[in-house]
Amino acid sequence: MIAAAIWKDMQLLLRDRGTLISLFALPIVFIVAFGAMFSGGGTSPDVPRPIAIWHPTPSPAGEVVERALAATPGFTPQPLASADAVRAAVAAGTVDAGLVIAADVDPAHGHPVELAIDLAAPIQVRAPLTGALTAVVTRALGAPVGAELVYLEARQPPGIRKPLPDISGFQITVPGNAVLFGFYIALTVAMSFAGERRTGTWRRLLAAPVPRWKVMLATLVPYYVIGLIQLTFLFGLGASLFGMRVAGSIPALVVLSMCVVLCAVCLGLLFASLGGTEKQLGSVGSVCLLVMGLLGGCMVPRLLMPDTMRSIGHIVPHSWALDGYYDLLVREGTGFSDIAPSLGALAGFAALFALIGLRRFRFET
Amino acid sequence: MSPPALQLRALAKTYGERTAVAGIDLDVAPGEILGLLGPNGAGKTTTISMACGVVTPTRGEVMIGGLSLARDPYGAKRRLGLVPQELALYEELSARANLAYFGALYGMSAAAIATRGDWVLGVVGLADRDREPVKRYSGGMKRRLNLACGLLHEPALLVLDEPTVGVDPQSRNHIFETVRALRTAGMTIVYTTHYMEEVEALCDRVAIMDAGRLIALGTVRELIAQHAGRGLAIEITGDVAAAEVAAAAHADVRREGATLHATPHAGLGALVSAIEATGATITRIESRQATLEAAFLALTGHALRDDDAPAPPTSKAATP
Ligand SMILES: Nc1ncnc2c1ncn2[C@@H]1O[C@H](COP(=O)(O)OP(=O)(O)OP(=O)(O)O)[C@@H](O)[C@H]1O
Ligand SMILES: [Mg+2]
Repeated sequence: MIAAAIWKDMQLLLRDRGTLISLFALPIVFIVAFGAMFSGGGTSPDVPRPIAIWHPTPSPAGEVVERALAATPGFTPQPLASADAVRAAVAAGTVDAGLVIAADVDPAHGHPVELAIDLAAPIQVRAPLTGALTAVVTRALGAPVGAELVYLEARQPPGIRKPLPDISGFQITVPGNAVLFGFYIALTVAMSFAGERRTGTWRRLLAAPVPRWKVMLATLVPYYVIGLIQLTFLFGLGASLFGMRVAGSIPALVVLSMCVVLCAVCLGLLFASLGGTEKQLGSVGSVCLLVMGLLGGCMVPRLLMPDTMRSIGHIVPHSWALDGYYDLLVREGTGFSDIAPSLGALAGFAALFALIGLRRFRFET
Repeated sequence: MSPPALQLRALAKTYGERTAVAGIDLDVAPGEILGLLGPNGAGKTTTISMACGVVTPTRGEVMIGGLSLARDPYGAKRRLGLVPQELALYEELSARANLAYFGALYGMSAAAIATRGDWVLGVVGLADRDREPVKRYSGGMKRRLNLACGLLHEPALLVLDEPTVGVDPQSRNHIFETVRALRTAGMTIVYTTHYMEEVEALCDRVAIMDAGRLIALGTVRELIAQHAGRGLAIEITGDVAAAEVAAAAHADVRREGATLHATPHAGLGALVSAIEATGATITRIESRQATLEAAFLALTGHALRDDDAPAPPTSKAATP
């Protein structure tokens, strides 16, 4: 019976141009549009930031750099106990970057200051920071005019995984829009419930010798399958057409996507349980999903957002999904353990949505 | 003896404060066509929804072919086919695809769906349009497919909720003939409607519902004989209220505008004299044919449909 339901809903979907467009075509347009935007020049968010710093004491060079950093608007030096502490702080994400000024620092002779920074962070974040710090260090150590010295050398601190070389904007916009539009399945699910009620087919389902939980599954499972097809399509297209690459584990990507669709379908059940008409769902639901996508960083990556917005993003499943995708697509060698928080959060959201949805859902109205 | 095809026992449904169905007892015999007649909002749909397991009763019990719907829901539901009041179809899909899905709900195999589908589409006269999306059908064709979907699994009991709403006369006749043929083949049918003519033409027995109650049950003939006696419609100019009071001494009277609907206790003469004694003028007297409509009017005190004129006049008496 569930198989018959899947078959029925597939046929319905193929005839429903509006839904087809919003699930499959619109995301491509967004991927291309945003992809083009992100491949352009970076923005420079000039927010005051703590920068971890370590140098041996005494160290004339270190002290000069530290003072220069303190004197630079937008930065505050955060002295730590050791070089490794600086690297660890960057790896943990408590600071965006750190400077390690070794005892033998001498840019003129191949001993540059070490800049600890996540090389996998988007160029939009990394470039302005690297640029500004290079300027501070260069000025502090007094560069001879015209000399092409490496004052600062960026290195990936241990504890965070190395990025793929030359990341394109599509690494960000493909998952961003896959998640944004993947969650639109929730709307399709809710509208399908409302449509069955409006046309009276719901009565037929309830009059049939089928338990009610199975009637519910027969409405949900087809959209779970359709959601998986949708994400497969979008990531497949991203990989084949836009050069999106998966740096980490493919099985982890598959499991993450399954969690995303599960979460979206459960959200659909929650929407359906609120009992609106198709029209109400269409307007309220789509705005709701758009705001969730925005907060979750589907359109503008959360890494580019101010800290408060970044934390607020965690109230929507989208952000967790994108954190997971980001790790898997951008960082080499990532696997299940790296995206465990994302998987856990998505499963949690799914359970919460399903629980509220099931409690509120009325078979009879 | 086989158990009744459908038994309702003290069946009731309330929605908050509103009582949709106020406790109904009804037995439907195997092989009969029972008409469930009532005005809008009488509780017909709610009653049959409870009978089909679509709505959970507030009180009471439903037995289908002797099986309790509460204790053996799947066994009971398998014997039952529902044709909802709405066009409960997937409009984007073809007739065949609709049948395939609804058949699967009853655990039918693909092969059974195909062969039974041939039969049922033939019965409702849609065999040649079976691959077209339903949305391209006419209203009457959709109604016929709606019926077909309830028939596919060969139910012993077929419940039809206003199956002819909004159809052309041709499709309506087709549905009538289908229903008669099904009865001949041994199917039990509950036919919900608010058209008198349909009940008179089709049904072995009628159950009349009003305001959530079953107010009469019997054959069309019985109901007419019991409730639609020798009725008169007396049109009056003058003080109608006073005329009504005067008439009440000689007849059962009900006033509707300037018309008194009266069933005289004895002769017509005493009634007419009493009315004229009040100073009112009788402009017309009509004797009414004993119709189901008249019985309904007598039972409920109102017409079946808001747009209905009171029963059609059959013979006109000259003003005295
Ligand atoms: N889900 C519901 N919630 C609240 N009230 C309801 C509900 N369903 C039906 N009712 C009320 O119960 C009463 C009976 O409704 P029902 O649909 O059974 O009437 P009906 O005889 O089928 O009328 P119609 O000829 O218009 O189809 C109506 O007053 C209706 O408003
Ligand atoms: Mg009804």
